[in-house]
Amino acid sequence: MGNLGQIISFAGFISPGIILFLCIVLMYKIERIKQLQNMASKLRDSVDEMDEQAKLIVRTDLELNKTQEALNKKLNGLYGLQKLSRKLSSTLQEEQLFTAVDPAQLEELGFEKGIIFLYNETEKKFILKAAVNYQKDNTEVIKSGLDKQKELFLDFMSKEKAINSSVSAQNKETIAKINSLFKTTSFVIAALLPKEGNRGFIFLGNEDASNLVTEGDEEVVNILATQLAQGMENARLFDESWRTHQELEKKVEERTHALSLALEELKIVSKRKTDFISSVSHELRTPLTSIKGYAAILLTEKLGALPPPVKERLEKINRHSDELTHFINDLLDISRIESGRVILNRQAQSLRPIAEKVFDLLSVQLKERQINSELIISPELPQAIFDTNQIERIFINIIGNALKFTPPEGKITVNIYAKGNMVEVDISDTGCGIPVESQEAIFEEFYRVDNLINQKVTGTGLGLTLVKKIIEAHEGKIWVKSSVGKGSTFSFTLPASPLK
Amino acid sequence: MINYSIGISRIADPISAAKEATQQAALKFTGNKVQLAMIFVSIDLAGPALGKIVKDQVFDAPVIGLSGTAIITPQGILKQGLMVVFFEFESGFNFSCDCVKNISAKNSLESGKELGWKLLSSFKESARHFALMFSDGLLGTGSSVINGMQERLGNSFPIIGGCASDNLRFKKTFIYYNEEILTKAACGILVGGNANFSVGIKHGWKPLGKLHTVTQAQANVVFTIDNKPAASFYEEYLALDIKSLQRESKIISTLYPLGVYIPGEEEYLLRNIISIENDGALVFQGEIPVDSQVRLMIGNKDSCLEAAKEAAETAYLELRQQEQHLHSHLHNAIAFIFDSSSRYLLLRKDADKELQAIKESLGDIPLIGIYTYGEQAPLKAVKYRGRTHFHNQTITIMILEG
Repeated sequence: MGNLGQIISFAGFISPGIILFLCIVLMYKIERIKQLQNMASKLRDSVDEMDEQAKLIVRTDLELNKTQEALNKKLNGLYGLQKLSRKLSSTLQEEQLFTAVDPAQLEELGFEKGIIFLYNETEKKFILKAAVNYQKDNTEVIKSGLDKQKELFLDFMSKEKAINSSVSAQNKETIAKINSLFKTTSFVIAALLPKEGNRGFIFLGNEDASNLVTEGDEEVVNILATQLAQGMENARLFDESWRTHQELEKKVEERTHALSLALEELKIVSKRKTDFISSVSHELRTPLTSIKGYAAILLTEKLGALPPPVKERLEKINRHSDELTHFINDLLDISRIESGRVILNRQAQSLRPIAEKVFDLLSVQLKERQINSELIISPELPQAIFDTNQIERIFINIIGNALKFTPPEGKITVNIYAKGNMVEVDISDTGCGIPVESQEAIFEEFYRVDNLINQKVTGTGLGLTLVKKIIEAHEGKIWVKSSVGKGSTFSFTLPASPLK
Repeated sequence: MINYSIGISRIADPISAAKEATQQAALKFTGNKVQLAMIFVSIDLAGPALGKIVKDQVFDAPVIGLSGTAIITPQGILKQGLMVVFFEFESGFNFSCDCVKNISAKNSLESGKELGWKLLSSFKESARHFALMFSDGLLGTGSSVINGMQERLGNSFPIIGGCASDNLRFKKTFIYYNEEILTKAACGILVGGNANFSVGIKHGWKPLGKLHTVTQAQANVVFTIDNKPAASFYEEYLALDIKSLQRESKIISTLYPLGVYIPGEEEYLLRNIISIENDGALVFQGEIPVDSQVRLMIGNKDSCLEAAKEAAETAYLELRQQEQHLHSHLHNAIAFIFDSSSRYLLLRKDADKELQAIKESLGDIPLIGIYTYGEQAPLKAVKYRGRTHFHNQTITIMILEG
């Protein structure tokens, strides 16, 4: 018991101390809790503060992102537009024009879907021209929808400015109807108004509701629509000019065909003429030979003396028969050359011997008519390629003509020289000359210059024709330079031999 | 050895495109018999006859495929395109293929289990490596399907793949299984045996601001965050009213997805918004459970491209390590890419740059893939094969080498 009393008395002594101690501890703890609470509250405040800062960051970030997005969109749109413009301006076919807008380009322009319709005024129908990111069954639904709401879309097509669903003055119901028809949530529609031809519209839109079209998009579509319309105009003009060109070409072809037909006919006629002349000439030559023969026999007077008038007539018969024979021979030669029946014996040789021979032959006549003559041959004259007999005829013919038309005391000059890869022969006289208008015609068959000498001197009008044919058969050319009263120069060329 | 041939068509008509791509794949095929056909198709060309056209060509070989916002082909990204790939595998490479239909929010977990079980039951005995899975992108319950499969295949078994998409219309996405075109379905293949594979997955988004708690949610619909209507989370951060949020939901969802904190993982799981309801509820592309800790995430095109590069490098390095480990040098690799449609929306014209960044790491390995509404892959791909999650806004790269 004593112990207990002791304990109690000890406790009685110590308990105020413990209580005091505990109170102190408690007070300290309370203080600590207060401190911690304070700290926690500060921490919470700073977390909240940080959260507020986070909010500011997010808001700024969102604004930045939106601005960046808008800027990107605009840049891409302009870039896309520029690329498309280049494509459109180089396209001259209407169909290609509409297909120029492909999915990648549409995305660049900032749209998800696009469709182009033209309105056929005569059939009163919309015609689909292009559709990007639309399936075939979609476009059919849209087309029938357009036909049902024709007035509305024709009204759009009368407006010069694009209509933007986001800021349009159109009522909400109409916009919603269009959106549901084209399966979009926002769109821009712009009229295609070429100066002539069918009008139409271009519809560009977005399906994604968060990707609404902007005013910038409207500008892009306005520019695109103007360019498309311009392109349509260009295509139409190009088409027209192309068509005209085609028609012109067709006409030229037709005319060429007609001309070649006429030429063929002409060749046939010409051949018939040649054949006819050839056969008639042959037929004439036989009786003519008989006539001349009999006249010659009679003129010998072996069959009996002839009274002078008869003799005189018979001589005329003889002379005319000679002329006729000559004429027929010329005709026959021309027809032979024309039909290619003459075989030329062309050889490389000098023209000198022939020219000298002809001068020799005609020397008597020259003397008789008191006409001077000169033969000039270039010392370095190359050989020419020709048929001796035929070229001899040419010299005789041309110099003969010169003799005929040159008055006494006149002069005939023959000049032979090389010119390029040809040998040229100029035969000049101081005769009466040939009027300009006849200078071409003298080489035509039966043409005779109307002058005093020709009225007196007989001629067939075939000589120069024959000369021309022979020269052409030798691959040469013949021409004349002449002035009336002063004289003429007949020139012809023959191919020179390549061998010296 | 994997023998494959690729047929690609850009024809605007679904049937003609299907025929062209199938014929092309058949013409290029140099193997003896097609064992598996895969379809990647942009939503506009995803016609009902596509499965049958491919199936008629490959007879009894299974056909699996999915629709997407755009497709990734060796020729580049095709906004409107159709790709058919025929595979033949060397002996020793095993796979099974199956499909589950009529998936709903309620039975997603069960459907996942069913698919896992079906794949297992038809799989021949050999080491199982991974499963490739395609599912309807509008289910909203991608995580549950994966969880279901994990219950059958194992919690750390890699499940790789993506969800079908429809160019951010959020109306209908398609799965192809043999002759059928399906919605509310998932199909998969279980792969094992003589094959190497590696995975890289990244998103490139960083958390910003403080942690918030999901206080009320059901599957992929979050009603409240911190006991306030879920939309107020975005309203406060962005200083926008609900109407503006609704109008700009796609860009907001892409730039500032919600990040879900997963204990033990380095990266946040991203969730994209599908829609913002008038009552302030947010509908996401994948589930977010109640009590999840969430943060606002921020990223941009550059971080997006950087992430793609990292994902490709990760996959490539892992494959090389496996080769060294096995002392083997397997050839004929092919890379499957499941890239988020949101990333495509963000990058748009620069989407090619992302592909370019991948090619820099992968070299000549051909890339095939699709833009999806959700990707699945283990979050940590190097060293430890972590648990497979259902992701949004990531790029998932799987290289298969046989």
